[in-house]
Amino acid sequence: MAKYMTLLWGSGSPPCWRVMIALEEKNLQGYNQKLLSLEKLEHKSKELLAINPRGQLPTFKHGDNVLSESYAVCFYLESQFKSQGTKLIPDGPAEQALMYQRMFEGLTFYEKLSKYYYSSEPQTLKRNKEALVTELRLWEGYLQKLGSGSYLAGPSFTLADVVVFPTVGTVFRFGLSPERYPKLGEYHNLLKERPSIRASWPPHWLESPKGLDTLKDI
Amino acid sequence: MATDITLLWASGSHACWRVMIALEEKNLQGYNQKQLYFEKGEHKSKEVLEINPRGQLPAFKCGDLPLNESCAACFHLECKYKSQGTKLIPDCEEGRALILQRVFEVNALTEKSSSVLYYNWRVPEGERHDSAIKRNKEALTAELKLWEGYLQASSGFIVGKDFSMADVIVYPNVAYLFHYGLSEQRYPKLAEYYKGLMNRPSIKASWPPTWKNAPKQETLKDI
Repeated sequence: MAKYMTLLWGSGSPPCWRVMIALEEKNLQGYNQKLLSLEKLEHKSKELLAINPRGQLPTFKHGDNVLSESYAVCFYLESQFKSQGTKLIPDGPAEQALMYQRMFEGLTFYEKLSKYYYSSEPQTLKRNKEALVTELRLWEGYLQKLGSGSYLAGPSFTLADVVVFPTVGTVFRFGLSPERYPKLGEYHNLLKERPSIRASWPPHWLESPKGLDTLKDI
Repeated sequence: MATDITLLWASGSHACWRVMIALEEKNLQGYNQKQLYFEKGEHKSKEVLEINPRGQLPAFKCGDLPLNESCAACFHLECKYKSQGTKLIPDCEEGRALILQRVFEVNALTEKSSSVLYYNWRVPEGERHDSAIKRNKEALTAELKLWEGYLQASSGFIVGKDFSMADVIVYPNVAYLFHYGLSEQRYPKLAEYYKGLMNRPSIKASWPPTWKNAPKQETLKDI
């Protein structure tokens, strides 16, 4: 099963991390994997472009299926391996609907983080910073409403957490203040101990535990 | 049931259109709906904010459950109404993988189209650069070539021989591009796909009303 799977990935890339969490949750450890260096532009190598013309990571292969969209891989793994590992899509209609809603809002969250991180011009930076703050406050509100110890869609860990946690992990790595965002801080602390997340924690974050300061003042 | 479903939508919004196609395909005609107008700022009205605190359309509720992200709504409808209407995500492994891949790949198409179509709206005057406009057009061209490639061996659908979730999600994006004047000569496969599904009942029934008598747009003529 896992031995017929291959994952090409980069350390610290939230989309790659989503796939790795999903693989762990579905008990698919032992998949073939290759760590590529984003700094050395290995994601634009001939080898990768041959499988994925977009030259992006993650690139995931299972038999003849090649998937390069992290959400597609997560849905695919949950439906292929429904009966093993953690049940990632809950049965209850309310929880399921909330899961879908938060999953897709998670794309907006990641987009706003990326836009801010990659902006350079002062006015663009200011605009994107405000957009990110608005977004962070929304998620802080979502967690506030659900109460302590809750996951994004309710009492159980679901695909919403698989796809959104990497973004949350990244904002704290970039220095987000848990005092200013206590609910997100609590969520981060709860999930960072989860086995699937510990097992897939970005290796270069372990090598240099001190993160960045980019979001310190947000 | 259709009467438990509410959709607040705007004509020409590809996200709203996706949800409407899905509702038609799942035989949920008769849902409560209200057409709103971005130009009048109605997407920021109390009515919308009560369902969608982001003040965006679609604002969609299935019973009490808000699902304001178009893909969330479509996936939920497929799951809940699995046994009625068209099967949008098949059970077999191979078909499903590629459908999921295209569903999520369309985000790249949306982003690159928006970068060109909405450049002036997104970027304040002082920050606009000709080099960025050029770059965005080149990125969109490259993206369209990829989709043109995906449709080379098409039977009229994005994936496989049947209408699927990939078509629900991608068709509105493609229609949008041709509405804005994309060249049918330069993108024959996309044009074939666009015309081939135009008369599908779910698509015809939900065609943006404001497009029906609108003058031809030419923004993407030279892409």
